[in-house]
This record gives sequence, structure tokens and C-alpha cells, in this order.
Amino acid sequence: MKKLISIVFLLYVAYQLFVVFYAVPFGTDEVRSKVGRFYLEHSPKDLHVANTVTSIVVNFRGFDTLGEVTVLFLASTALGSILFRRREVHTRLSHLRTSVEASSIVRVAGRILFPLIVLLGAYVFIHGHLTPGGGFQGGVIIATGFLFLLLAYRQFTVEHRTIMWIESLAGITFAGIGLVGIFVGKTFLENFLGVGRLNDLISGGIIPLIYIAVGFKVAAELTGILDTILSISITVDETENQTEKNG
Amino acid sequence: MEQVLTYLGYILIVIGAIFLFLGGLGIVRLPDIYSRLQAGTKASTLGAMSLILGVGFLNPAWLVKSLVIVIFIALSNPISSHALARGSYRHNIKPWSKEDIDAYRQYLKEEGQKEREEEAKQTENKD
Repeated sequence: MKKLISIVFLLYVAYQLFVVFYAVPFGTDEVRSKVGRFYLEHSPKDLHVANTVTSIVVNFRGFDTLGEVTVLFLASTALGSILFRRREVHTRLSHLRTSVEASSIVRVAGRILFPLIVLLGAYVFIHGHLTPGGGFQGGVIIATGFLFLLLAYRQFTVEHRTIMWIESLAGITFAGIGLVGIFVGKTFLENFLGVGRLNDLISGGIIPLIYIAVGFKVAAELTGILDTILSISITVDETENQTEKNG
Repeated sequence: MEQVLTYLGYILIVIGAIFLFLGGLGIVRLPDIYSRLQAGTKASTLGAMSLILGVGFLNPAWLVKSLVIVIFIALSNPISSHALARGSYRHNIKPWSKEDIDAYRQYLKEEGQKEREEEAKQTENKD
């Protein structure tokens, strides 16, 4: 009975989705939105950016993106400030990540795949204005590479001082590019460089610069968060073991 | 020549679709995590690889890119499934089986004995 109900429900949902999407003929511009059409027309024509999403995120709504980056920074700082104190008590034990080391297959694969993952991440954020992707996505890909190393090697730790420097420099670069816009005589975060040719690697004005900064920032922040979380789970385990031994 | 490549591409895509379907079916139908991982990894690795290679054959301009993706899948997919299976075994998830055959437990016992012997040797040397 339960199965029958769920199948009927799924069929109903599928029918409704079909009705909605059938109303929009495939490949036509039936959704009448002036804002959307404005972006689609002006992004390749005025800014010479092939990826419209990027041109919206960085150029038309650059200030909003600065806010998003700040939110991410605040989240990672808050997480660090909550979890870091317990970490310092057991700094001596924090290099013991798990009780069992990862198998040799995973360790060898980590050594081979890590550079490839970082390369992919860098590719994604450098080509943010040309292909789908951008600073946030590329940064997350690089952070997954570091997660791989953290899981594969027990001894591997991330230097939090370096991460702090990278994060701060990237943030300053982002805000600095915006301020240069004011000094040149335009508004905050407005494009002040030449836009180049459509589909060239060096084109799109300030978009590649900002996305490189965002990529570094996101990668550093997420790596720091991952390292903090992983070291916490160990210190808790270690203290439990110690109390067992003492008791 | 192009005709041959096109037919080869379509055949590969159909094979890939069949194996991806079988992998999905296996994840729903098989009894425990280890056999599900087997369905999810073996079937979907072959499925995705042959699907992407088929697309590469259909559009020769993408052939190099699709080959790179195929190599990446061949490297990463089996490793992730290995790590998942090993992790779940270490967390005491019992394999589903009617006979009590567990080769990995046997292997771990032998390894543990070796380690203990080595430790004993080292402590003897220290003394």
C-alpha cells in the first residue's frame, strides 16, 4: 500500500513537471524576463565575457560577491574560534589523525592525484570567465585535494599561519581591485581594464583577477576548516583512550 | 572511416548506458554495503568510461579530453570504493554471506601477528 501510494505520488509529480516544462518549447526564449535578456545581451557585447553567470556574479553584482566572500570568511573564523581552543590543549596529540593508517593504495593514489586535482581547480578558476565554473568552484576543488591528503597521510598537517596569510592577501586583493576602480574614476568594483576579445584567456577586464583571488581565498578557508574539524575528532578520541588507560 | 567511428561511438554509448543501468539496479537490489559498492563501482566505472569514450568517438575534437576523463575515472573510482569498503570493514559492518568465508579477516590476523612479532623483536633489541 505504501509503495503504491509513493508510486502514484511520484507519477503525479512527474506529470506536473511535464506539464510545466511542456509549456516551454525546447530551445526557445519563452521565459519573458527583461533582466535575464539584458544580461544575456550585454555580457558578450559590452564585457566580452562568454560565461554570463560569471559576468553577473563578478561584474553586474560584484558588491554582492564581496559580501558572500565575507560571509564565508566569517563562517570559517567562527568555526575556528569555537573548535580551536580544544585543539590547543592537546597539540601534542593532534598529529594522530586516526587510529589506523590509510591503506597503501590510498596513499599512493593521493600522491598521484593531488597535483591533478589542484591543476583542475586552478584551471576552473582561471577559466572562470570562459567556461562554467569560477573562483568558488575552483577553490572547493583544490580543498578536496587537500582533504585527500589529510585522509591519506596521518602526518600531514596544514600550517594555519600560511593559510591565514593566503586568505588575508586574497581578500585584500579583492577589495583592493574594487578600490582601484574608485581611484581611476569609476565606481567601486567597476571594470576598469580593457575587455579584450571574446573567448580569449586574457579578457573580461577584472573578472579573471577577482576570480583568482576568490579561488585562493576559498581554497585556503575550506582547507583550514577541514583541518580543524579533522584534528578535533582525533583529540576527542585520544582523550577517551587516555581516560580508559588511567581508569 | 568516419562512419566506422560513428557506429563505434553509438555502440559504446549503448554499452555504457546498459552498465550504468545495471549498476543502479545493483545498488537497489543487492543485500549489503560491500556488494552494493561492487555494483556501484565496477558497473558504473565501465559504464561511465565507455559512455564518455563513445562521446569522444562521435565528436573526434573531444577525443583527447574524453580520454583524459576516462583515465581519471579509472584512477579515482576504484580507489574511492576501496577506501569505503575498507573503512566500513574497520567499523565492524559484517559482510552478508550464507557461508562464513572472510578472507580479509584471515589476512588481518596474519598481519597483526607479524606486527606483534616485529614489535617483540624490537623490544628485545632495545633490551
